[in-house]
Amino acid sequence: MVQFINSLFNGISLSSIILLTSLGLAITFGLMRVINMAHGEFLMIGAYMTYVVQQFFIHYLPESVGDLYYIAAIPFAFGVTYLLGSLLERFVISHLYGREIDSLLATWGISLILQQAARNIFGTQGVNVTAPSFLNGGVTIGKCTFSWNRLFIILMVAVCMFFIWIIMYRSNFGKQMRAVMQNRTMAQCMGINSRKVDNITFSIGSGLAGIAGCSVALLGSIDSTVGQNYIVNSFMAVVLGGVGKLLGTVLGSTIIGSASIFTENYTSSTIAKAIVLLIVILFLQKRPQGLFVIKSRSLDE
Amino acid sequence: MKKFKRLLSVLSSAALAAAMFTSCGTQAGNSGGSASDSPAGESKAGTSSEETVKVGLLHSLTGAMAISEKSVRDAEVLAIEEINASGGVLGKKIIYAEEDGASEPSTFATKAEKLIDSEKVATIFGCWTSSSRKAVKPIVEDYEALLWYPVQYEGMESSKNIVYTGAAPNQQIVPAIDYLIDKGYKKFFLLGSDYVFPRTANMIINAQVKNAGLEVVGEEYADMDQTDFAAIISKIEAAKPDVIVNTLNGTGNVSFFKQMNEKNYTSDSYMTMSFSIAEEEVATIGADILKGHMVSWNYYQTTEGEKNKAFVSAYKAKFGDSRVTSDPAEAAYDAVYLWADACTKANSFDPDKVIKAVESGEISFDAPEGKVTIQGDNHHLVKPVRIGQVGTDGLISEVYATDPVAPDPYLTTYKWAVDAGIQPLE
Amino acid sequence: MKSLKKKGPDICFAMIAAVLACAPLMLNAGILNSSSIVLFLGKCIAFAIVAIGIDLIWGYTGILSLGHGLYFALGGYCMAMYLKLQETGGGITDFMHIGGMTELPLVWRPFNYFPVALILIIAVPGTVAYLIGYFIFRNRVKGVYFSIISQALTWAGYSIFIALSPYTNGNVGITEIKTILGSIKGEAHKQAMFELFYISLAILIVVYAAARFLTSGKFGCLLVAIRDGENRTYFSGYKVSAYKNFIYVVSAVTAGIAGAVFVNFNGSITPSQMTISYSIAMVIWVAIGGRGTIIGAVIGAFLINLCEYNLSSGSMVEIWQYIIGAAFCITILFFKGGIVGIITEQIPAAAEKLKNRKKGTKEALRYGSK
Repeated sequence: MVQFINSLFNGISLSSIILLTSLGLAITFGLMRVINMAHGEFLMIGAYMTYVVQQFFIHYLPESVGDLYYIAAIPFAFGVTYLLGSLLERFVISHLYGREIDSLLATWGISLILQQAARNIFGTQGVNVTAPSFLNGGVTIGKCTFSWNRLFIILMVAVCMFFIWIIMYRSNFGKQMRAVMQNRTMAQCMGINSRKVDNITFSIGSGLAGIAGCSVALLGSIDSTVGQNYIVNSFMAVVLGGVGKLLGTVLGSTIIGSASIFTENYTSSTIAKAIVLLIVILFLQKRPQGLFVIKSRSLDE
Repeated sequence: MKKFKRLLSVLSSAALAAAMFTSCGTQAGNSGGSASDSPAGESKAGTSSEETVKVGLLHSLTGAMAISEKSVRDAEVLAIEEINASGGVLGKKIIYAEEDGASEPSTFATKAEKLIDSEKVATIFGCWTSSSRKAVKPIVEDYEALLWYPVQYEGMESSKNIVYTGAAPNQQIVPAIDYLIDKGYKKFFLLGSDYVFPRTANMIINAQVKNAGLEVVGEEYADMDQTDFAAIISKIEAAKPDVIVNTLNGTGNVSFFKQMNEKNYTSDSYMTMSFSIAEEEVATIGADILKGHMVSWNYYQTTEGEKNKAFVSAYKAKFGDSRVTSDPAEAAYDAVYLWADACTKANSFDPDKVIKAVESGEISFDAPEGKVTIQGDNHHLVKPVRIGQVGTDGLISEVYATDPVAPDPYLTTYKWAVDAGIQPLE
Repeated sequence: MKSLKKKGPDICFAMIAAVLACAPLMLNAGILNSSSIVLFLGKCIAFAIVAIGIDLIWGYTGILSLGHGLYFALGGYCMAMYLKLQETGGGITDFMHIGGMTELPLVWRPFNYFPVALILIIAVPGTVAYLIGYFIFRNRVKGVYFSIISQALTWAGYSIFIALSPYTNGNVGITEIKTILGSIKGEAHKQAMFELFYISLAILIVVYAAARFLTSGKFGCLLVAIRDGENRTYFSGYKVSAYKNFIYVVSAVTAGIAGAVFVNFNGSITPSQMTISYSIAMVIWVAIGGRGTIIGAVIGAFLINLCEYNLSSGSMVEIWQYIIGAAFCITILFFKGGIVGIITEQIPAAAEKLKNRKKGTKEALRYGSK
């Protein structure tokens, strides 16, 4: 029983991490049809920004507020990746609307550049971020320990989801965004500045990767290649859930995350990874459009 | 118009051909004009010019392994500069050609070939992972060149054309397990990356632990780029070991220890003995997380001795005060000096003669870790073993040390190892 | 005049092949100073072959596979397994011994025989591609979905090869092997090296000719039709999925052959040939050379690899990462046709424009003077 609850929690926790790393993709890929291969690198930038903020706190601020660095790092990482995303959209992505495959390739080039830039700026070796003391340890119920950090990530996902929901479905901008995504020409005719909408949407997607970077910074290594470790699972989560549906991404991440943990209980992690990927691929044979399909009469949807 | 197009296509292929030959041209220039069709024995001697001798550095500067290999490469550069400052080798200054292995074994093979055959280097200092070494090994053997490999590894190898300056298994793994057994640890959990070093190391440890009448309660392999260790930590919790023998590589260590820390596990709850965590890794994981955990190496930054003080201060002066020295970096530093000594004894840069000098068993260096000597028959170093414990300052302090141990890469002098049949086939 | 345009790529290819054919001769004559460059050109030939394969499905048919490393490695492993058994004389290898095996596993047995191994080099990637392609294309998975799935497949394959280390030697892969012609390293085996090089060159020429044949006729038009208007092709009565699957299998087999050639020159094969970044690197060659033209793939493979060979060393390593990233990005953004596109379209167009402008200004002047 303890084993099961542990696995369940681990599964939820891994799912939440995958979800956090794929939320940004769900927006850029799902809504804008842009395949951002540099998404992993935005995540890496987010992780490095956490490091930068921590260094700033260590060197310039009194020790008593040291723990707050993490709270400050989240909006900072979001801001930096938001700006970078905005620049990327302006100079690269904006040439690539309607060219999905090309967007995938061009952003791969960007990711090579960003990785090398990280090596040049922060050094080849990894850097370290110490978890703030309020996230150290965990709450023990019976024989199960739930770490604060994992709970915090789950909370962070929930908050991000809530904000995305507000932005998309309860704000004027969201209305414009959905309009542009559904029918660009019509939206333009209605006087929506579609260039601006595109830019902000993409930037939000990138910013979410930055937030994800903050949370993975506490879980693992921070180095120039960290983004690559997350990117495949994130893409699979989005595709499995069904492109264009946030709920689908949630479900996709949950399935991949829990399946990984439960398979790993019975076999080695290398095999577990292969099995989960193959299962997802097999499933996509049954439902090529993913779990949630947007009904459309268009042939090419 | 059509003619124009045709002209362009011809031009393009001409440009391509030119690209091919400029590449060859630069190599001809680098090799210092030694005649291309000279007999292999002489051109290999690496006499790049009258005043200099060229060596090759082959490490990953990009890709996943760059994180680790950078420090090794830096230590080699430091040693080269020191030797040059004190007059060079055989009256010649050392210059180095550097290639990027890109964390990819076949690139290592290509670049090793390039260094040996077109750059005509006298020797190569390089590699980190076992897969890159295994890819380079046939190349150096075919060209009868010489590779200095600076990292502890799983053993079961002894090539005529490689000198291994890191620890063989009986200079790191075996004594560490002996130490753990001595200290009364009874239940071992083996955790490693899904990789050749951990798999071979665990095979050795299994035999050793079984021989001592103790128990291995679990053996797990994590994917090389594993980021989530929750499931593995659950398995550790279920197995309730006394000690975790950790052979994770690279970034896996960071994730594992950070996620152990999440659950409040310190060295008091689960002691670990790690074989791939040196000062560099401690810095990226965090000393507060690792404090009290044990590691096994031949050298630490805190190792006592004048030589080490000089090495640490030279390293920090060159690469920055925040950098730390580590066992692999020290082994790489030794490698350059040992090569210089071998060249001096051989009175030549020719790999054949240098190998002969190496095999005389008289090549030694007063290294930061203490005096190291190359054992002639298997090309490994005789070196002391040190068990260390991570301190709160991020440095590792020695808790146990041995006299210099003779290398035994195939563990043939250990009866339990022979009985378990872990030696490779003849 | 039209025939000239048609023959341009072939002439270009003939020149590349001629230059390659001269490389061993130049080594003998002392113009090239080391045999390692010839060995590297041998690897480039393998890369050019796989690039042709990728061009067939991506450039012509519009299916972007980010997983061709899988087929490349499968072909490579088939070759390497045969070569390894030549080394051990049909006995078990060290890694099998360490993995606890006492006799040769069943999957390794067929590789004792050269003809069987040759067939398997084609059959294994072909079968895997057929099965994958059959399901994926039948279910009309296309566009980026296909790319993402192919990338996940490669990753799964990579994990499987590492997990089955008693059979595959995990990350280290199959090393310490010679070539089908025995040892080729060193002065004594120069002749063998040249023979191997010419065999590989011949394979490249055959693959090129086959690809030209496939793409030039009606079939080629059909592939382009699928790329440009898949639904229209459906409605015209063609079974698109079957055509796609066919070209996918052809492409995978080409990659497998390339892998087999590569192993001979490289002396080892590892799962890192199966990684996503390795697979995308192959796409980069095609993109920069020029997609949709077979010659573009060949040019790209040679050019990028030769540049990388010469530039990714010493202090250039860091800059090289920026160059390749930026070159790739800019090519995709502005020069869809790659180098070939620049030469055959952009430059002539620019020249035309320039000419017109000159004419225009002259005319304007004339009108002005009137």
